[in-house]
Parts: sequence; structure tokens; C-alpha cells
Amino acid sequence: MDQLIQQFLTGLSIGSILLLVAMGLSIIYGAMGIINLAHGEFVMLGAYAAWFLQVQFGMGLLISLVPIFLLVAAFGWLIERFVLSFLNNRPLDTILATWGVGIMLQQAVRLTAGGELRYVKMPEALSNSTAILGVQISLYRVFLLVASLVLFAATWLLMNRTTVGMKLRAIIQDRPVAASFGVNARRIYGLTFAYGAGLAGLAGALVSPLKSVSPEMGTGYVIDAFMVVVLGGVQSLIGTVASAFILGELSGVIAFLQNDTVAKAIVLLAIVVLIRFRPQGMFATRVRA
Amino acid sequence: MQSKSADLTFLRRTNAELIAILAVCAIFFVVPVLLNNDYLLNKVARYLVLGILAMSLSLSWGYAGILNLGQAMSFGLGSYAMAMTLKLKTVPVHTGPQGLPDFMVWNNVTQLPWFWWPFESQAFAILAGIAIPAAVAAALGWFMFRGRVTGVYVAIITLAAMVVLNLVIIDQQQYTGGFNGITDLAQLELFGIAFDAYGRSTYYLVTICMTVALLVAYAFTRTKAGLIIQAIRDHESRVRYFGYDVGAYQIAAFALSAAIAGLAGMIYTIVMEFASPTFLGVQLSLSVVVWCAVGGRQSLLGALLGAILVAGVQGALSESATFLETWTLVMGGLFVLIVLFLPKGLAGLVASLWALIRQRPLRSVRGVHRIEQTETGA
Repeated sequence: MDQLIQQFLTGLSIGSILLLVAMGLSIIYGAMGIINLAHGEFVMLGAYAAWFLQVQFGMGLLISLVPIFLLVAAFGWLIERFVLSFLNNRPLDTILATWGVGIMLQQAVRLTAGGELRYVKMPEALSNSTAILGVQISLYRVFLLVASLVLFAATWLLMNRTTVGMKLRAIIQDRPVAASFGVNARRIYGLTFAYGAGLAGLAGALVSPLKSVSPEMGTGYVIDAFMVVVLGGVQSLIGTVASAFILGELSGVIAFLQNDTVAKAIVLLAIVVLIRFRPQGMFATRVRA
Repeated sequence: MQSKSADLTFLRRTNAELIAILAVCAIFFVVPVLLNNDYLLNKVARYLVLGILAMSLSLSWGYAGILNLGQAMSFGLGSYAMAMTLKLKTVPVHTGPQGLPDFMVWNNVTQLPWFWWPFESQAFAILAGIAIPAAVAAALGWFMFRGRVTGVYVAIITLAAMVVLNLVIIDQQQYTGGFNGITDLAQLELFGIAFDAYGRSTYYLVTICMTVALLVAYAFTRTKAGLIIQAIRDHESRVRYFGYDVGAYQIAAFALSAAIAGLAGMIYTIVMEFASPTFLGVQLSLSVVVWCAVGGRQSLLGALLGAILVAGVQGALSESATFLETWTLVMGGLFVLIVLFLPKGLAGLVASLWALIRQRPLRSVRGVHRIEQTETGA
């Protein structure tokens, strides 16, 4: 029984990390139709920013979250403004452009910060473990789960309860009509991309104490996040949450029985098969194009 | 009147393209006569192989509109097929003739795993190096294209499939050689000719493969199926309304492209004398897309020459390690600029200049191959 709960909690923990990483990607794709292949590099930038702030200024991880969010969001805004906004009607080319941007970011970090692994210290208060239902679990992992759910709630409120969110939803439904009502689509797109990038930065900073930080770390995350988005369906925040935790539990179980790589391979196979029969994902109503 | 002039452009373009392909192949056949340096010849052969790989992507991306970000997966599969059979031909130091490959011995494997058995036969391996990538692509294509998944999703799934296969190969070290790949290979022998990586025979093998691959791909684009493929790229649903089985055509183009990439992978193993997980890595796959974009995605020859040009420049400048690091940065930037401002690559630029020289309106050139205006139509 203990093992079962342990397994379930591990799955939840993997799921919360997946959700953190996938949320920004899902918002950007759902809203703008842009697959952001530089997303993993935004995650990496967030992790490096956490490392840098800690080593240079001795800032704790929790305090540095706000500047990290703003920094990576600003980066995202610049990229949207100076690269992606030129590719309005060429969705396939946005993949290429963001891929190129990602490679440049990766290489720039490698040249400035070095290619070796970096480590970020966990906040003191969260470095112990606690007992849940008789099973020991690290407090930091509990914190991650809570943080991912809080961020999700904030995002949902932003999309559904604010003016900016309403404008964005209007643009998604019909851009020309929204524009004729005075919505500045370019500005909203810029803000959306910045928000998605900022979320990726936060995700990177939050997972950095658990994993080593390296310039290549983004690739793995971006692939995992795509699987979440493909499974959950686009334009469905709820779908993203559900599929993040489904994939988290699934990976946890398979990794327990076999190993991480086998888990990834099986999850991918399952998703490819699923796409054949439910191309719109499990939770979305719209068909993807 | 308009249709007649369009036909003429079409004809002229057909001949020009074929002549250009044959001319380029002829030039590379002559290179060994002028270049009396085995080391450089091996390098050129390497670039030609990468050129074939880029050309295979042009077939699926430029012609069929299937952006395969995992093109290196097919390449890697071909490369491993060749490496496996050549590995079985080497006499292992530790276990003697007919013994297990050395890396299996190091990993305490006691007998040859079942999927290595057929690779005792060289003929099977050569067939498999083309058929396995094609079959994998066809299977993946069946799931994707029958599910009517297009555009960005195809790009992501192909990329994910490659990354996962790469991880599996590294993980299953005892059967695949893991991170180190398969090294210390015997030389390929065909019809009594031994193919030494630094010999002329290998160079000619590469050039012959390149010519055949180019002509096959070119012929495919000229057939009716090839034209339908391009129509699907431009407007998928219209072709579907005409009653064509869009998915079947896409699967065919995808598989053909993978088969050519597999062939390139096989000869890459011969030229490099090893197979490694980097052959199906993200880095190489990205490079292939960059070469294709630089050369011109909608031109088989353009993609091929783009690869030779970019890889060649990189090879020539790679003497210093610091430069190589900056190079990646430069290549990323160049790639973004080309995507933004020169979507048809150098081939498109040449076509426009050619039209200018002939004092014909640019419009007709644009009309022949257009892609980006209609891509969002669906």
C-alpha cells in the first residue's frame, strides 16, 4: 500500500513539472498557432537566471522568481516583436524561426556561462521531507505541485476574468472582427508570447534545484511539453492539466517497472497511436490544423 | 494564351533542372582527377552524403510540404544497418572469429541478440538500410496522415520520434554500443571491390549513389504522383475534393524521402567508418533543415548544394574550436534571417536573378513554385 501511494506521489510530482513546462507552450500555441521550439531554451534561461542570481547576488530561489519571470518574459517579447511578427501567415516557418532562435540562445549560454553542469540550491525551508499518508516525500516536491496549480489558476483567471484575456479570446475567435472593435492584435500577441515565455522561465527556475542545469537541458523539456499539449489538445487549459498528470502518472509507473527511457518511448508510441483515432487530442473540441 | 506560356515555362524549367542535375553530378565525378589527396577526397565524399540527406528532406518538405524535423532518424537507421553488418564481419580481438562484437562482451551479453542475426548477411543489411527507414516512415505516416494531422504536428511528432529513438539507442548499450556507437568496422566488399573510406572506390560509390538518388527523386517529382504531391502541399483539401487519396500520396512521399535518407546513412557509415547516436541527433537534424533552407527547400539540387556549401564552409573553418562554437551561433542567426527574408533559399535567388537576366517578369518565376501564400489556406 505504501508503495502504491509512493508511486502515486512520484507520478504527481512528475506531472506537476510537466504542467509547469507545458503551460506556457500550450498558451502560445493555442492563442497564436505558433509552435515555439525555443520554449525549452526559455526554460533553460530561467534555470540559468536562478543559478546566476544565486551565485552572483546570493538571492534565494523564491525571491528571484519574480525577476526571472520578468526577465524571460521580456526576452520572449523581443523575439515576438522582432522575429515572429514578420511571419504572420506562415505557421510552418515560425517553427523554423523559433528553432533557430533556440539554437542561438543555447549556444550563447554555452559561450558565456560555460557548458558544464550547474547546480541551484534548494530553499532552506523546503529542503526537508514530510510524511503524507505515511509516505515520506520531499517538501520541495509538494511545493512544486502547489506552485504549478497556483500558476494554472492564475493563468485561467487571466484568460477568463481579465480584459486582456477577453481580448485575446476575441482575437483567437476572429482576428479581423476583433481588430475592427479596436483590439490591438499585435500588442496582445506580444503580451501573450511574453507571458508564455515568462511561465517557461519560472518553470526552469522551479525545477532547477531538482535537476542539473546545462545548456542542453531544454530539448528534453520541450519534447515532453509537446507530448502534453498533443495529448491534451490545443486551446484547452484544462486538457493541458489533465494530460500533464496522466502522462506524469504513466511515466512514473513505467519508469518504476522499466526505466525513464522506456517510459518515454512507450508514451510516445501511445500518443502516435492516439493521434490516428483522436487527432484533436483527448480534451479539445476543435480540430487542429 | 496564358496556359501556353505557362507550358513553355514548365518545359524550359524541366530541361534546365535535369541538365543542371547531370552537370553537377558530372563535376563531382571529375573531382578525383583534379584532387590527388585522399584525405580531402574523403571530406568531399562526406559532404556529398550530407547533400543526399538534405536532398531527401527537400523531397518531403519542399515538394510534399511535410516538414520532417526528424529526417536524421532515417539517416541514423540506415547508418546503423550498415554498421551492424560490417561489425559482424570484423574479427573481435577478445572472442575470436565468429565471436560477439566487442561492446557486447564488455556488457556481459552472452549470445547475439535476435535482431542482429539477419545482419550476418550483407545483402540483407543493404536492403534493410533502405527498407527499414522507409517502413518506419510509412508506419509513422500511416498514423499521422490517416489521422489527417498536418503542419506543425507532423514536425513535432517526427522530432519526438527521433529524440526517443536516440535515447533508446543510448540506453540499450549492451545491444547498440550506446553512447559510443558502433566502431571498429570491417570494410564493405561488393562484387570483389573493397571500399576503403579513404579510397577512390568509396568516393565513386558515393557519387554514384548521389546521382541515382537525385535522378530517382527528380523522376518522382515529374510523375503524376509527384505533381499531385505538390498540389497537396499547396492546397490539401482541394485535392481531397477531387477524390484523391491524400494520405496515401503523403505516406508514399514520406517513405521515399526516408528511403533516400537511409541510403545516405548507409554510405555515411562507410565514409566515416563508424555509426554513432549523433547520426540521429537533434543537432544533425537541425543542420539538415538549415542546409535545405539555405539551398532552397523546393529545389532538389539547391538543397544538395546548400548542404555541400554550408557543411563545406563549416569543415574548412573548423580548425579552431572557438570558431566552431561561434559558428553554431552564426548558423542559427543565418537560418533565422533566411527563414524571414529568403524562404526559397539560394535556389530561389538564382531563379529570380536568371529571370532578371532574361528580362522576363519575375511574376512567372514566382508562379511556378509558390508555397507560403497558400499554406495557411487550410
